[in-house]
Amino acid sequence: MRPATLFVVQPTSGVPIYRQLMDQVLALRSSGRLPEGALLPSVRQVAEELQINAMTVSKAWSLLERDGVVELQRGHGMRITAPQAGGTLRQRLAELHPLLEHLAARAHQLALPRQDVLDALAALLPSTKDKP
Amino acid sequence: MNPPIVMRQVSKSFGTKTVLDTCDFELRAGSVTGLLGVNGAGKTTLLRTAIGLARPDTGTATVLGEPAWNLSAAAKARIGYVPQTPGLIGWLNVRDHLAYVGAFQPRWDAAFAEDLRTKWDLPPDTKCAKLSPGEAQRMALVLALAHRPELLVLDEPAASLDPIARKQFMAAVVEVAAAGTTILLSTHLCADLERVADRVAVLQRGRIVRDAGIDELKERVKRVRVAVDAPLPKDLGLSGILSRRDLDGGSVLMVDGDPETYAKTSARLLQAGATVAIDELGLEEIATELLQ
Repeated sequence: MRPATLFVVQPTSGVPIYRQLMDQVLALRSSGRLPEGALLPSVRQVAEELQINAMTVSKAWSLLERDGVVELQRGHGMRITAPQAGGTLRQRLAELHPLLEHLAARAHQLALPRQDVLDALAALLPSTKDKP
Repeated sequence: MNPPIVMRQVSKSFGTKTVLDTCDFELRAGSVTGLLGVNGAGKTTLLRTAIGLARPDTGTATVLGEPAWNLSAAAKARIGYVPQTPGLIGWLNVRDHLAYVGAFQPRWDAAFAEDLRTKWDLPPDTKCAKLSPGEAQRMALVLALAHRPELLVLDEPAASLDPIARKQFMAAVVEVAAAGTTILLSTHLCADLERVADRVAVLQRGRIVRDAGIDELKERVKRVRVAVDAPLPKDLGLSGILSRRDLDGGSVLMVDGDPETYAKTSARLLQAGATVAIDELGLEEIATELLQ
Protein backbone atom coordinates (compact mmCIF):
# COMPACT_ATOMS: atom_id res chain seq x y z
CA MET A 1 0.00 0.00 0.00
CA ARG A 2 1.43 3.37 -0.92
CA PRO A 3 1.68 5.49 2.20
CA ALA A 4 -0.62 8.21 0.94
CA THR A 5 -3.39 5.69 0.33
CA LEU A 6 -3.72 5.30 4.09
CA PHE A 7 -5.84 8.41 4.01
CA VAL A 8 -9.21 9.23 2.62
CA VAL A 9 -11.01 12.55 2.80
CA GLN A 10 -14.54 13.68 2.22
CA PRO A 11 -14.20 17.25 0.92
CA THR A 12 -17.92 18.02 1.12
CA SER A 13 -18.08 17.10 4.79
CA GLY A 14 -18.57 19.83 7.37
CA VAL A 15 -15.42 18.63 9.08
CA PRO A 16 -12.51 20.57 7.58
CA ILE A 17 -10.17 18.39 5.54
CA TYR A 18 -7.18 19.14 7.76
CA ARG A 19 -9.21 17.83 10.75
CA GLN A 20 -10.10 14.66 8.87
CA LEU A 21 -6.42 14.03 8.16
CA MET A 22 -5.40 14.70 11.77
CA ASP A 23 -8.06 12.35 13.08
CA GLN A 24 -6.89 9.63 10.73
CA VAL A 25 -3.24 9.96 11.73
CA LEU A 26 -4.26 9.75 15.38
CA ALA A 27 -6.36 6.69 14.74
CA LEU A 28 -3.60 5.02 12.68
CA ARG A 29 -1.08 5.73 15.41
CA SER A 30 -3.33 4.48 18.20
CA SER A 31 -4.07 1.28 16.32
CA GLY A 32 -0.38 0.70 15.59
CA ARG A 33 -0.82 0.84 11.84
CA LEU A 34 1.52 3.81 11.95
CA PRO A 35 3.99 2.62 14.60
CA GLU A 36 6.52 4.79 16.38
CA GLY A 37 9.19 5.89 13.96
CA ALA A 38 7.05 5.45 10.86
CA LEU A 39 7.24 8.36 8.45
CA LEU A 40 4.17 10.25 7.38
CA PRO A 41 3.89 10.56 3.62
CA SER A 42 5.03 13.97 2.43
CA VAL A 43 2.65 16.88 2.08
CA ARG A 44 3.09 16.68 -1.66
CA GLN A 45 2.37 12.96 -1.88
CA VAL A 46 -0.84 13.27 0.08
CA ALA A 47 -1.95 16.39 -1.76
CA GLU A 48 -1.43 14.69 -5.09
CA GLU A 49 -2.91 11.36 -4.08
CA LEU A 50 -6.06 12.92 -2.62
CA GLN A 51 -6.11 15.83 -5.04
CA ILE A 52 -6.38 18.41 -2.33
CA ASN A 53 -4.64 21.68 -1.62
CA ALA A 54 -1.12 21.11 -0.28
CA MET A 55 -1.60 23.87 2.31
CA THR A 56 -4.39 21.84 3.86
CA VAL A 57 -2.11 18.82 4.31
CA SER A 58 0.68 21.02 5.56
CA LYS A 59 -1.67 22.55 8.13
CA ALA A 60 -2.66 19.08 9.40
CA TRP A 61 0.95 17.92 9.64
CA SER A 62 2.11 21.01 11.50
CA LEU A 63 -0.77 20.82 13.98
CA LEU A 64 0.14 17.18 14.60
CA GLU A 65 3.69 18.30 15.20
CA ARG A 66 2.46 20.94 17.65
CA ASP A 67 0.50 18.24 19.47
CA GLY A 68 3.57 16.01 19.66
CA VAL A 69 2.04 13.28 17.54
CA VAL A 70 4.80 13.56 14.98
CA GLU A 71 8.19 15.20 15.00
CA LEU A 72 10.20 16.65 12.18
CA GLN A 73 13.22 14.61 11.31
CA ARG A 74 15.42 16.74 9.10
CA GLY A 75 15.98 15.27 5.71
CA HIS A 76 13.45 12.52 6.25
CA GLY A 77 10.08 14.01 7.04
CA MET A 78 7.53 13.71 9.79
CA ARG A 79 8.13 10.79 12.11
CA ILE A 80 5.46 9.26 14.33
CA THR A 81 6.27 9.61 18.02
CA ALA A 82 5.44 7.05 20.66
CA PRO A 83 1.96 7.45 22.07
CA GLN A 84 2.28 8.98 25.53
CA ALA A 85 2.42 6.88 28.69
CA GLY A 86 -0.93 5.52 29.79
CA GLY A 87 -1.66 4.80 26.15
CA THR A 88 -2.83 1.34 25.24
CA LEU A 89 -6.47 0.47 25.38
CA ARG A 90 -7.58 3.20 27.75
CA GLN A 91 -6.02 5.96 25.71
CA ARG A 92 -7.45 4.66 22.52
CA LEU A 93 -10.86 4.51 24.09
CA ALA A 94 -10.48 8.08 25.32
CA GLU A 95 -9.84 9.15 21.77
CA LEU A 96 -13.09 7.56 20.69
CA HIS A 97 -15.06 9.11 23.50
CA PRO A 98 -16.16 12.40 21.92
CA LEU A 99 -17.60 10.46 19.01
CA LEU A 100 -19.40 8.11 21.36
CA GLU A 101 -20.89 11.04 23.26
CA HIS A 102 -22.11 12.47 20.02
CA LEU A 103 -23.58 9.14 19.02
CA ALA A 104 -25.29 8.75 22.38
CA ALA A 105 -26.78 12.24 22.25
CA ARG A 106 -28.07 11.68 18.76
CA ALA A 107 -29.52 8.29 19.62
CA HIS A 108 -31.31 9.91 22.54
CA GLN A 109 -32.77 12.63 20.34
CA LEU A 110 -33.99 10.06 17.89
CA ALA A 111 -35.55 8.13 20.78
CA LEU A 112 -33.88 4.93 19.64
CA PRO A 113 -34.01 1.89 21.92
CA ARG A 114 -30.66 1.25 23.55
CA GLN A 115 -30.29 -2.29 22.26
CA ASP A 116 -30.99 -1.26 18.66
CA VAL A 117 -28.24 1.32 18.81
CA LEU A 118 -25.79 -1.18 20.28
CA ASP A 119 -26.73 -3.74 17.65
CA ALA A 120 -26.29 -1.25 14.84
CA LEU A 121 -22.88 -0.30 16.17
CA ALA A 122 -21.85 -3.93 16.65
CA ALA A 123 -22.73 -4.65 13.04
CA LEU A 124 -20.23 -1.99 11.94
CA LEU A 125 -17.37 -3.34 14.03
CA PRO A 126 -15.06 -5.92 12.51
CA SER A 127 -15.52 -9.30 14.16
CA THR A 128 -11.86 -10.36 14.01
CA LYS A 129 -9.97 -10.57 17.29
CA ASP A 130 -8.15 -7.28 17.71
CA LYS A 131 -4.96 -6.75 19.60
CA PRO A 132 -5.72 -5.83 23.21
CA MET B 1 4.52 38.74 0.85
CA ASN B 2 2.45 41.48 -0.72
CA PRO B 3 -1.01 40.53 -1.92
CA PRO B 4 -0.79 39.96 -5.69
CA ILE B 5 -4.17 41.63 -6.20
CA VAL B 6 -5.42 44.66 -4.30
CA MET B 7 -8.70 46.36 -5.13
CA ARG B 8 -9.72 49.54 -3.34
CA GLN B 9 -13.20 51.00 -3.63
CA VAL B 10 -13.55 49.74 -7.15
CA SER B 11 -16.81 50.55 -8.92
CA LYS B 12 -17.77 49.52 -12.40
CA SER B 13 -21.06 49.92 -14.23
CA PHE B 14 -22.32 48.83 -17.58
CA GLY B 15 -24.97 51.34 -18.68
CA THR B 16 -27.28 51.72 -15.73
CA LYS B 17 -26.26 48.43 -14.17
CA THR B 18 -23.75 48.71 -11.34
CA VAL B 19 -21.69 45.53 -11.25
CA LEU B 20 -18.96 46.41 -8.77
CA ASP B 21 -19.90 48.85 -6.05
CA THR B 22 -16.98 50.31 -4.07
CA CYS B 23 -15.54 46.84 -3.87
CA ASP B 24 -12.53 46.10 -1.65
CA PHE B 25 -10.55 42.92 -2.09
CA GLU B 26 -7.09 41.59 -1.36
CA LEU B 27 -5.87 38.28 -2.70
CA ARG B 28 -3.61 36.51 -0.24
CA ALA B 29 -0.24 35.52 -1.71
CA GLY B 30 0.22 31.76 -2.04
CA SER B 31 -3.46 31.03 -1.54
CA VAL B 32 -5.93 29.28 -3.78
CA THR B 33 -8.96 31.52 -3.42
CA GLY B 34 -12.37 30.69 -4.79
CA LEU B 35 -14.55 33.61 -5.84
CA LEU B 36 -18.13 32.63 -5.14
CA GLY B 37 -21.24 34.40 -6.28
CA VAL B 38 -24.56 33.73 -7.95
CA ASN B 39 -24.79 33.99 -11.73
CA GLY B 40 -24.59 37.62 -12.70
CA ALA B 41 -22.98 38.68 -9.42
CA GLY B 42 -20.08 40.21 -11.32
CA LYS B 43 -17.41 37.56 -10.85
CA THR B 44 -16.06 37.92 -14.38
CA THR B 45 -16.00 41.70 -14.11
CA LEU B 46 -14.13 41.52 -10.83
CA LEU B 47 -11.50 39.16 -12.29
CA ARG B 48 -11.10 41.21 -15.45
CA THR B 49 -10.82 44.47 -13.53
CA ALA B 50 -8.34 42.93 -11.10
CA ILE B 51 -5.85 42.05 -13.82
CA GLY B 52 -6.37 45.05 -16.07
CA LEU B 53 -8.62 43.59 -18.75
CA ALA B 54 -11.34 46.02 -17.74
CA ARG B 55 -10.99 49.53 -16.40
CA PRO B 56 -12.59 50.55 -13.10
CA ASP B 57 -14.92 53.59 -13.30
CA THR B 58 -13.61 54.68 -9.91
CA GLY B 59 -11.25 53.19 -7.36
CA THR B 60 -7.95 51.44 -7.92
CA ALA B 61 -6.92 47.94 -8.85
CA THR B 62 -3.32 46.90 -8.33
CA VAL B 63 -1.83 43.66 -9.57
CA LEU B 64 1.68 42.47 -8.71
CA GLY B 65 2.38 45.94 -7.34
CA GLU B 66 1.43 47.82 -10.50
CA PRO B 67 -1.75 49.65 -11.51
CA ALA B 68 -3.81 46.98 -13.28
CA TRP B 69 -4.90 49.23 -16.11
CA ASN B 70 -1.33 50.31 -16.95
CA LEU B 71 0.54 47.06 -16.59
CA SER B 72 4.11 46.79 -17.78
CA ALA B 73 4.95 43.96 -20.16
CA ALA B 74 7.13 42.46 -17.42
CA ALA B 75 4.18 42.27 -15.02
CA LYS B 76 1.88 40.85 -17.69
CA ALA B 77 4.40 38.08 -18.26
CA ARG B 78 3.93 37.01 -14.62
CA ILE B 79 0.16 36.55 -14.91
CA GLY B 80 -1.80 33.67 -16.40
CA TYR B 81 -5.48 33.97 -17.29
CA VAL B 82 -7.98 31.37 -18.43
CA PRO B 83 -11.25 32.96 -19.59
CA GLN B 84 -14.64 31.28 -19.31
CA THR B 85 -14.45 30.01 -22.89
CA PRO B 86 -10.97 28.93 -23.91
CA GLY B 87 -10.90 31.00 -27.13
CA LEU B 88 -8.52 28.70 -28.96
CA ILE B 89 -7.72 29.12 -32.61
CA GLY B 90 -9.65 26.23 -34.10
CA TRP B 91 -7.67 25.55 -37.25
CA LEU B 92 -4.31 25.25 -35.46
CA ASN B 93 -3.35 21.87 -34.12
CA VAL B 94 -2.26 21.58 -30.49
CA ARG B 95 1.48 21.60 -31.21
CA ASP B 96 1.31 24.60 -33.56
CA HIS B 97 -0.97 26.48 -31.20
CA LEU B 98 1.54 26.11 -28.39
CA ALA B 99 4.36 27.31 -30.65
CA TYR B 100 2.25 30.25 -31.86
CA VAL B 101 1.38 31.53 -28.39
CA GLY B 102 4.91 30.83 -27.18
CA ALA B 103 6.32 33.13 -29.82
CA PHE B 104 4.63 36.11 -28.12
CA GLN B 105 5.74 35.26 -24.61
CA PRO B 106 9.22 36.23 -23.45
CA ARG B 107 9.13 33.85 -20.47
CA TRP B 108 7.62 30.90 -22.40
CA ASP B 109 9.10 27.55 -21.36
CA ALA B 110 8.57 25.25 -24.36
CA ALA B 111 9.82 22.15 -22.54
CA PHE B 112 7.42 22.80 -19.67
CA ALA B 113 4.56 23.34 -22.15
CA GLU B 114 5.39 19.97 -23.71
CA ASP B 115 5.48 18.30 -20.27
CA LEU B 116 2.05 19.67 -19.43
CA ARG B 117 0.69 18.69 -22.84
CA THR B 118 1.72 15.06 -22.40
CA LYS B 119 0.71 14.90 -18.75
CA TRP B 120 -2.73 16.22 -19.54
CA ASP B 121 -3.22 13.98 -22.58
CA LEU B 122 -3.50 16.56 -25.33
CA PRO B 123 -2.99 15.00 -28.75
CA PRO B 124 -0.39 17.14 -30.59
CA ASP B 125 -1.81 16.68 -34.08
CA THR B 126 -5.45 17.33 -33.32
CA LYS B 127 -6.90 20.62 -34.50
CA CYS B 128 -8.04 22.68 -31.53
CA ALA B 129 -11.57 22.86 -32.95
CA LYS B 130 -11.76 19.08 -32.57
CA LEU B 131 -10.77 18.97 -28.90
CA SER B 132 -13.39 17.90 -26.38
CA PRO B 133 -14.51 20.63 -23.95
CA GLY B 134 -12.33 19.06 -21.26
CA GLU B 135 -9.29 18.95 -23.54
CA ALA B 136 -9.88 22.50 -24.72
CA GLN B 137 -10.03 23.71 -21.12
CA ARG B 138 -6.79 21.88 -20.26
CA MET B 139 -5.21 23.32 -23.39
CA ALA B 140 -6.18 26.81 -22.25
CA LEU B 141 -4.55 26.01 -18.91
CA VAL B 142 -1.31 24.94 -20.62
CA LEU B 143 -1.34 28.21 -22.57
CA ALA B 144 -1.84 30.15 -19.34
CA LEU B 145 0.88 28.26 -17.48
CA ALA B 146 3.77 27.65 -19.83
CA HIS B 147 5.34 31.01 -18.98
CA ARG B 148 5.29 29.96 -15.30
CA PRO B 149 3.11 32.77 -13.97
CA GLU B 150 3.13 33.75 -10.29
CA LEU B 151 -0.54 34.57 -10.44
CA LEU B 152 -3.14 32.44 -12.18
CA VAL B 153 -6.69 33.71 -12.70
CA LEU B 154 -9.37 31.25 -13.80
CA ASP B 155 -12.89 32.31 -14.74
CA GLU B 156 -15.41 29.49 -14.20
CA PRO B 157 -12.82 27.07 -15.55
CA ALA B 158 -14.76 23.88 -15.00
CA ALA B 159 -18.32 25.02 -15.57
CA SER B 160 -18.74 23.44 -18.98
CA LEU B 161 -17.01 20.15 -18.16
CA ASP B 162 -18.55 16.80 -17.35
CA PRO B 163 -17.70 15.38 -13.90
CA ILE B 164 -14.73 13.32 -15.10
CA ALA B 165 -13.18 16.11 -17.15
CA ARG B 166 -13.81 18.46 -14.25
CA LYS B 167 -11.99 16.16 -11.88
CA GLN B 168 -9.01 15.95 -14.24
CA PHE B 169 -8.99 19.69 -14.64
CA MET B 170 -9.13 20.34 -10.91
CA ALA B 171 -6.32 17.81 -10.38
CA ALA B 172 -4.26 19.90 -12.78
CA VAL B 173 -5.09 23.00 -10.75
CA VAL B 174 -3.98 21.22 -7.55
CA GLU B 175 -0.59 20.54 -9.13
CA VAL B 176 -0.21 24.15 -10.17
CA ALA B 177 -1.08 25.31 -6.67
CA ALA B 178 1.39 22.87 -5.13
CA ALA B 179 4.11 24.50 -7.22
CA GLY B 180 3.44 27.75 -5.35
CA THR B 181 1.35 29.74 -7.81
CA THR B 182 -1.27 32.02 -6.29
CA ILE B 183 -4.63 31.15 -7.82
CA LEU B 184 -7.89 33.06 -7.97
CA LEU B 185 -10.75 31.14 -9.53
CA SER B 186 -14.39 32.00 -9.87
CA THR B 187 -17.03 29.34 -9.72
CA HIS B 188 -20.51 28.60 -8.59
CA LEU B 189 -19.65 24.97 -7.95
CA CYS B 190 -18.66 24.61 -4.32
CA ALA B 191 -17.61 20.99 -4.72
CA ASP B 192 -14.72 22.09 -6.95
CA LEU B 193 -13.52 24.51 -4.32
CA GLU B 194 -13.61 22.24 -1.32
CA ARG B 195 -10.71 20.15 -2.54
CA VAL B 196 -8.62 22.78 -4.16
CA ALA B 197 -9.11 26.10 -2.46
CA ASP B 198 -8.03 27.18 0.98
CA ARG B 199 -10.00 30.42 0.95
CA VAL B 200 -13.25 31.73 -0.43
CA ALA B 201 -14.27 35.28 -1.23
CA VAL B 202 -18.01 35.81 -1.52
CA LEU B 203 -19.17 38.41 -4.03
CA GLN B 204 -22.60 39.81 -3.48
CA ARG B 205 -24.27 42.97 -4.76
CA GLY B 206 -20.99 44.22 -6.14
CA ARG B 207 -18.91 43.73 -3.02
CA ILE B 208 -16.81 41.07 -1.35
CA VAL B 209 -18.96 40.42 1.69
CA ARG B 210 -16.84 37.64 3.15
CA ASP B 211 -13.23 36.57 2.64
CA ALA B 212 -12.21 33.68 4.83
CA GLY B 213 -10.46 30.34 5.02
CA ILE B 214 -12.66 27.38 4.14
CA ASP B 215 -11.60 25.60 7.33
CA GLU B 216 -12.47 28.67 9.34
CA LEU B 217 -15.91 28.87 7.73
CA LYS B 218 -16.57 25.19 8.41
CA GLU B 219 -15.58 25.63 12.03
CA ARG B 220 -17.65 28.79 12.52
CA VAL B 221 -20.80 28.41 10.46
CA LYS B 222 -23.10 25.74 11.79
CA ARG B 223 -26.74 24.85 11.90
CA VAL B 224 -28.24 24.69 15.36
CA ARG B 225 -31.48 22.78 15.71
CA VAL B 226 -33.33 23.28 18.94
CA ALA B 227 -36.35 21.23 19.86
CA VAL B 228 -38.33 22.32 22.88
CA ASP B 229 -41.86 22.03 24.25
CA ALA B 230 -42.23 25.56 25.53
CA PRO B 231 -41.75 28.47 23.13
CA LEU B 232 -38.13 29.50 22.89
CA PRO B 233 -37.12 32.90 24.20
CA LYS B 234 -36.45 35.42 21.47
CA ASP B 235 -32.95 35.91 22.81
CA LEU B 236 -31.02 32.66 22.85
CA GLY B 237 -27.80 34.28 23.91
CA LEU B 238 -26.20 33.29 20.61
CA SER B 239 -24.18 35.78 18.69
CA GLY B 240 -23.73 35.71 14.96
CA ILE B 241 -27.17 34.38 14.03
CA LEU B 242 -27.47 34.52 10.25
CA SER B 243 -31.02 33.30 10.07
CA ARG B 244 -33.65 31.85 12.33
CA ARG B 245 -36.70 29.83 11.52
CA ASP B 246 -39.13 29.28 14.36
CA LEU B 247 -41.12 26.14 13.83
CA ASP B 248 -43.70 24.33 15.84
CA GLY B 249 -41.76 22.90 18.77
CA GLY B 250 -38.41 24.39 18.03
CA SER B 251 -36.14 26.53 15.93
CA VAL B 252 -33.54 26.08 13.26
CA LEU B 253 -30.77 28.63 13.31
CA MET B 254 -27.85 29.27 11.08
CA VAL B 255 -25.06 30.67 13.18
CA ASP B 256 -21.73 32.19 12.31
CA GLY B 257 -20.07 32.01 15.67
CA ASP B 258 -16.89 31.47 17.59
CA PRO B 259 -16.15 27.72 17.39
CA GLU B 260 -15.45 27.66 21.13
CA THR B 261 -18.93 28.86 22.07
CA TYR B 262 -21.00 26.09 20.51
CA ALA B 263 -20.41 23.59 23.31
CA LYS B 264 -21.42 26.16 25.93
CA THR B 265 -24.54 27.19 24.06
CA SER B 266 -25.53 23.61 23.63
CA ALA B 267 -25.03 22.88 27.34
CA ARG B 268 -27.05 25.94 28.33
CA LEU B 269 -29.97 25.05 26.07
CA LEU B 270 -29.89 21.47 27.28
CA GLN B 271 -30.14 22.70 30.85
CA ALA B 272 -33.13 24.80 29.86
CA GLY B 273 -34.82 21.57 28.82
CA ALA B 274 -34.31 21.76 25.08
CA THR B 275 -32.80 19.16 22.79
CA VAL B 276 -30.03 20.56 20.71
CA ALA B 277 -28.27 19.32 17.63
CA ILE B 278 -25.40 21.20 16.04
CA ASP B 279 -24.74 20.24 12.45
CA GLU B 280 -21.45 20.74 10.68
CA LEU B 281 -22.01 22.00 7.18
CA GLY B 282 -20.37 21.54 3.83
CA LEU B 283 -19.27 24.57 1.86
CA GLU B 284 -22.33 24.36 -0.37
CA GLU B 285 -24.71 24.90 2.53
CA ILE B 286 -22.54 27.57 4.07
CA ALA B 287 -22.30 29.43 0.78
CA THR B 288 -26.04 29.22 0.23
CA GLU B 289 -26.56 30.80 3.63
CA LEU B 290 -23.96 33.53 3.10
CA LEU B 291 -25.38 34.35 -0.33
CA GLN B 292 -28.91 34.89 0.91
